[in-house]
Parts: sequence; structure tokens; C-alpha cells
Amino acid sequence: MSGKNPALDQARTILSRYTNLVTFIVLATVLSILTKGASLGWDSVQNLVIAESVRAFAALGVGIIIITRGIDLSIGFVVCLVASVSASFAQTTDYSAALYPGVDFPSYLPIVAGLATGAAFGLFNGVLIAYGKLPPFIATLGTMSIAKGLQLIYTRANVIGSLKAPFKNIAQGSVGPVPNLAVYVFIASFIVWIVLRHTRQGTHLYAIGGNPQAARVSGINVEFELVKVYTYAGILYGVAGVLQASRLGLANALTANGMELDAIAAVTVGGVSQTGGVGTMGGMIVGVLTLGIINYGMTYLGVDSYFQLLVKGFIILVAVFADMKKYKRRA
Amino acid sequence: MNDVNILELRNITKLFPGVKALDSVSMQVRPGTVHALMGENGAGKSTLMRCLFGIYKMDEGEIFFKGNKAVFNSAKDALESGISMIHQELMNVPDRCVKENIWLGREPFKMRGFLKFLDHKKMYDDTLSLMRRLEMDIDPNRRMGDLSISLQQTCEIARAVSYNASIVVMDEPTSSLSDNEAAHLFRIIEDLKRRGIAIIYITHRMNEVFKISDTVSVMRDGKMVGTFRTADLNEEKLIRLMVGRDNANIFPYMTPCSDEVVLKVEGLTSDDPRSFRNVSFELHKGEILGIGGLVGAQRTELVEAIFGLRGITSGSIFHRGLEVRNANPRKAIGHGIALLTEDRRGSGIFPLLSITTNTSVPSLKSFRNKLGLLDHGEIRKVSERINQSLKTKTPTMETLIQDLSGGNQQKVLISRWLMTEPDIFIMDEPTRGIDVGAKFEIYTIIAELMKQGKSIILVSSEMTELIGMSHRVMVLCDGRHTGTLSRTEATQERIMRLAALFN
Repeated sequence: MSGKNPALDQARTILSRYTNLVTFIVLATVLSILTKGASLGWDSVQNLVIAESVRAFAALGVGIIIITRGIDLSIGFVVCLVASVSASFAQTTDYSAALYPGVDFPSYLPIVAGLATGAAFGLFNGVLIAYGKLPPFIATLGTMSIAKGLQLIYTRANVIGSLKAPFKNIAQGSVGPVPNLAVYVFIASFIVWIVLRHTRQGTHLYAIGGNPQAARVSGINVEFELVKVYTYAGILYGVAGVLQASRLGLANALTANGMELDAIAAVTVGGVSQTGGVGTMGGMIVGVLTLGIINYGMTYLGVDSYFQLLVKGFIILVAVFADMKKYKRRA
Repeated sequence: MNDVNILELRNITKLFPGVKALDSVSMQVRPGTVHALMGENGAGKSTLMRCLFGIYKMDEGEIFFKGNKAVFNSAKDALESGISMIHQELMNVPDRCVKENIWLGREPFKMRGFLKFLDHKKMYDDTLSLMRRLEMDIDPNRRMGDLSISLQQTCEIARAVSYNASIVVMDEPTSSLSDNEAAHLFRIIEDLKRRGIAIIYITHRMNEVFKISDTVSVMRDGKMVGTFRTADLNEEKLIRLMVGRDNANIFPYMTPCSDEVVLKVEGLTSDDPRSFRNVSFELHKGEILGIGGLVGAQRTELVEAIFGLRGITSGSIFHRGLEVRNANPRKAIGHGIALLTEDRRGSGIFPLLSITTNTSVPSLKSFRNKLGLLDHGEIRKVSERINQSLKTKTPTMETLIQDLSGGNQQKVLISRWLMTEPDIFIMDEPTRGIDVGAKFEIYTIIAELMKQGKSIILVSSEMTELIGMSHRVMVLCDGRHTGTLSRTEATQERIMRLAALFN
């Protein structure tokens, strides 16, 4: 039983709160030593941010879901569908193989349609889980397949390419030296931080994840809160999808393939516990960066990409193992 | 009858943090007898049995089985030595069939060359002969979950017997049986007795004790009051032994309550046909209304329905004269009702959240600034002030609630509800599982709330607590309101009689 020594207690709390950040700094330092400082260059940092920012949206989305004891496997294909829908409204008018050849859609439509698609899937997941009482794992496994099917039907399995320059500029542009993507991630992270840390709703999410029955007794409308969380996450996937299409200048059936696993791995490494009720925005972002730097570092060091998968797998297992030990409910 | 004891428990002591759950308890059981074990809830009967089965490690004491000192490290150990137990709750695998359930963990095998195969035929035949021997008529191939609860209970009995046990412990085995089924169980017990098997029979039902037992051991507050021949007792005497005479004055002074009715419940009936029905009562300003009854009397279900956690089919609730419908806890909280639930871990604490958050969750609405964001400084200040007034002991307000003792967790939960400023505070077993010191502190808190004019509904299984703390005691039995006793009328004997009215 702890609690006897407040100082020790506090030291433990602080250390356990920042383990993820410490891990990230250690990894970054090791990498910069191995690359003789090259990895600290502005170009490298920029590349890291650009490569990881889309994933960050997915991570923020699934992060708030995992806080409520949920999970979402549909991310990858929902992002893929969103990217395809969004891209289909942004194709150049002179492109004869376009999905809607010759139609010049207003420039806001790709964004609105993308976000709406993401939100609709989130809402659907939320209703299935909160009111249909389906286990999140199974419900989102179902919607994953639905999203994949819809994407293939909608695009007739074609690549949606030849996107307009202004649309591509959404993700590819930059504000001075700062890539646009970094700005979007910053804004989204800020909003997630405000919601989790400074609103009643945020506290309710931790309460629901911590003990759903106690949350209900405390007067929280557990079902409605869950629907909202999945919808918010869906909107974040919507942003990820629009940005992915804009960044790559195209969308196809392989867009965002496996993103759910990357996102879940990142937030787990970032200290969002599978037991529910634990996790912060900072942790989620640090988790994304940690996985990013590992990927980046291994590529930089010329590690075989097959071997990289192996390393990533073990890192996830270690993170979950540490998490289970840390949050083992004390009797 | 044989004079040699088949089982002897000597000076068994079991300590839980802050509580002496068993205090040097001794008991002797002779073969071929039914030995009833009686006592109020929390007297230590289950703890004693758990020590016997090695589920709890006892701190002191010895067990002698068939004359030899025995140490059982697990229920499996005890089973293999010939002591089996029928639990009050069903412990089976509903999706497997009867025969598989009975031989679970010791399935017969047959060898085919060097491969081991499950011997379904032997399992079937053995089950059938076991059922015949016990005059039970259950198809060994039926899926367990398809049987009625009472037939499932019967299967548990068959399984217990199938271990060739020389002692069978039965923990309230009739609680889910009809009268006919209970009569059948008693015939089986008679049969087991004739075979020289000893039965330790835990029950609350007086009539059963006098019908089937040869010997009665009575426990109270973790101590063995004594072992008596059933023939030497009557109901009156037994109740007196169970509840004890010493009622030390540990309870705070009670001020009289006003006549003003703050809550009126009329003909409240649960949407679960097995739960409470047609319950009516009134609660006055500044009153502590105790609700007593045995396990299964549906007390928790009743208060949870008032709080909007469970559904009702008929009846009405009036709050200060106005009819209210508490469809969910949010509405009830809005009407100034608070509920401290019975299961602190299951529906009370958020284990991995801080004391501050645990205290403030239901009241966050009133701590928002102009932007609609939470005012963390104010939340912390108010949470801290309320916790301090209840003397919650915690290193910091950021400490996780799971790191506090049970008594302090309970104080945080009481603080949580006080922060919502309720005028009706329902407390369901508020002192269960917390140490003696904290118990008295909670009594003091309850009395303080009463003096402030709050109305309290106190559900408790502890007789002394009910009588010591309540202005009136309302007793439920089997979901029905069997009577309300005023402070002067409320004695343990009277409460017991009302609580067991339909048994």
C-alpha cells in the first residue's frame, strides 16, 4: 500500500506521468548520436512531422475512444473512404478519367464531404456500441468491412488522381518554414487537450472509462457520451482522410492501409491505457512521435523494412506489457 | 451416531486490514449429522468456510480432518480430500451440458494407443447412476443453462456428492428453491446422513434449522457464541444467541425529526417480477429511516429504483409533495437525492482517478467559468474542504482513490454526494467492509447530516447499526414491506421476525 510517504508518492506520480516523454527524448538523442547530428536538422524534423501528422489525427481519435474503454478497428478503411470521397470532388475538370468528368465542384465540397463521411461512420459506430450494446471490437470490425466495401464500390477500384492544385496545397503548403500539416495537428491537439482537460465532458470520459457503472450512478448519460466520442473520433478520421488525399494528391484502395494499427500502437506507447480512464493528449502525440522516430531512425540507419515491422511489433508488446503492470488494479 | 469428530476447527483467527474477521473460532463436526451454522450477515460464517477451503489463508489456528492435522491450500485440495461445498451462487458453465459440468476438471479419459480421448460414454453413465442414486431426474446431456435455476442447484448438489465427500458444506442451498424442491433437498440430505456424511448447513431460515439439523453453531461478530443441540433450542433462544445482548452505546445522540414529509413512496413495484412489490413509506425531514431485511429481501433494488437505476412498473414517488419520475440517476440527483451504493468498488470509486475528480464528478456543472471550461482551482478547493470536514485521510488531493483505505474511500464517496447538496441521502450498507474506527466516524457523519436537516435512508444488514442509528426501521422480506418499527419498538428479535416472515 502506498500513500505513506507523500514525497515518494509524488515522485512516483511525476515519473510515471512522463515516462513516455523520457522514452522519446532518449530515442531522439540516441538517433542523433548515431546519425552524427543529421537527424536533428530542420529537414529531418520537417520530414518526421509531415510523415506522422496524418497518423496523429487518427491517434487522437482512437485515443479518446480508448479512454472510454473502447477500441476502433475501422480507422484505416474509414480514412481510405474519406480520402476517396474527398478526392473525387477535387479532380481537375480536364481529367477524362475522373469520377465525375468535367464537373467543377466548389472548393469547399471535398472538405465538407470528407468530414461528413467521417462523422457519419463515427456516429454509426457510436450508436452500435452505446445503444446496440455491441462490443466495440466487433462493431468496428463490421464497419471496417462496410467502409472498405463502400470505397471499392464508389471508386470502382480505380485510383482517384489528378487533383486540383489548391486542394493539394491544403496539406502540401506551408506557413513560412512550418508545414501546414503541423499547424493542423497543433490546432487539433489543442482542441483535444481543452476537451479532455478543461471540460465537463472530458472528465466524464475518464469517469466512463474508469468505471462505467459508477459513472452512471454519478448521473452521467453514458450512452450519449459514448456516441459523442465516436462521432468526434469520426470527424478526426475525416480530417485525416482529407489531408491524406491532399498530401498524396490521390486516393486509392491502399490509402491509409493499416492506419488503425499504427494509431492504436502509438497511443498505447503514449500511455493511453487499455484498462480505460487513463491517457492524455500529450501522451498520444508523444506516442505518435516515438513510433515515428523509430520508423524514421531505422530507415535512416538502413534497417531492412521487413525487419522494421518486427521491431515495431516488439515495441508495441513491451508498451502494453508495461501498461498492464502499471495499471493493474490494486486489490 | 459416532462420537469421533470428522472435522475439528481449532482457534481459527483471520485478520483483515483493521478487522478481526474471525477471533479464535473453534467448531467440531461429527459424521452423519447435519450441523447448522448460523449468524447474522457479516458474523463470519463465510469467512470461516473460506478458511476451511484454503481460499483465505488463516492467520492462526488448525484444522483436523479425520483425526489428522490437515492443511488445504485450495478448494481443489479440500475437494480431493473429501470436503465439498455448494455455494449460494451457481458456479457452473451454462453453455456446457450437465455431465460435463459435473465432471469438470476431472473428466474420465480413455486411451487409444498413446492418445488420450475424453470418455463421453463413461461420463454419461456415471452421471446417470449418480442421478439415480440421488433420485434426481435430469438428462446428463441437457445444456446446463437450459435448466431452471433450481434444477441447476440440484446439479450442484449432485456434483458435490460425486466427489465421495465425507463433508458437504451447503451455503444457503434453498435460497433459489421452491418448497417442493427444498423438500427434495432435505430427503437427499437425510440420505447423505445415513451414509455417514457430515453436512455443514449455513442458513438464515429458522424453520429449516429445526427441521433438519442435529447441532447448531452460532457465530456473532467473528466469534463463536457456542454449539448447541438443536433439540435444546427454540426459535426465541436461537435469535437471542445470534443477535447478542450487548449493545454498547457507540451511536451518536439522535435528535427527534420533524413531521414534514420530504419523500413519499406509494405502491412501488419493480419491473422485475422477482423483486420488490407494492412498497409504500414516508421519509421525514431530519429523519434516519433504516431499512432492514435478510439477503435477497430486495432492499438494494428498492433504493436503486428510487434513484432511477432500476425500472418500476407501478407506484409513485413524491418529492416534497410533487410527483417525480426518476428515469435515470441524473433526474434523481436533480431532485436532490443522493445514493451511496452498496458496492464501493463496482459502482462507487473511479480507481485510477484522483480524490478531487472522484469527489467532483456529479457536481461539475456548477464549476464552469464564462467560457464553459472547468474551474480546476475552485473544484479542488471545494472538494478539499468537504473531504477535510469529513476527516478523509489522504496524502494529497491528487492521490488516486485506489490507494486509500476502504474507510477513506467511503468518506470520499460521501463527500462526492455532499457536494451535490442533496436533501435526501440514501446510504446502502455504508459501513460494509470498513474498519471499526472508520465505522464510528461514518456514524458521526450521518448524525451530523441528520442535524443539518437532511433526510437519510440507511440500508443495513447489521442489526445493531439499524437499531442504533434509525428513527424508524422498515423491514422487507422477499420484496415485500413486512412492517415498520419505531425507535422504541425496534428490537433485534422483532426485526428478525419481520425479516423472516415468509420463510
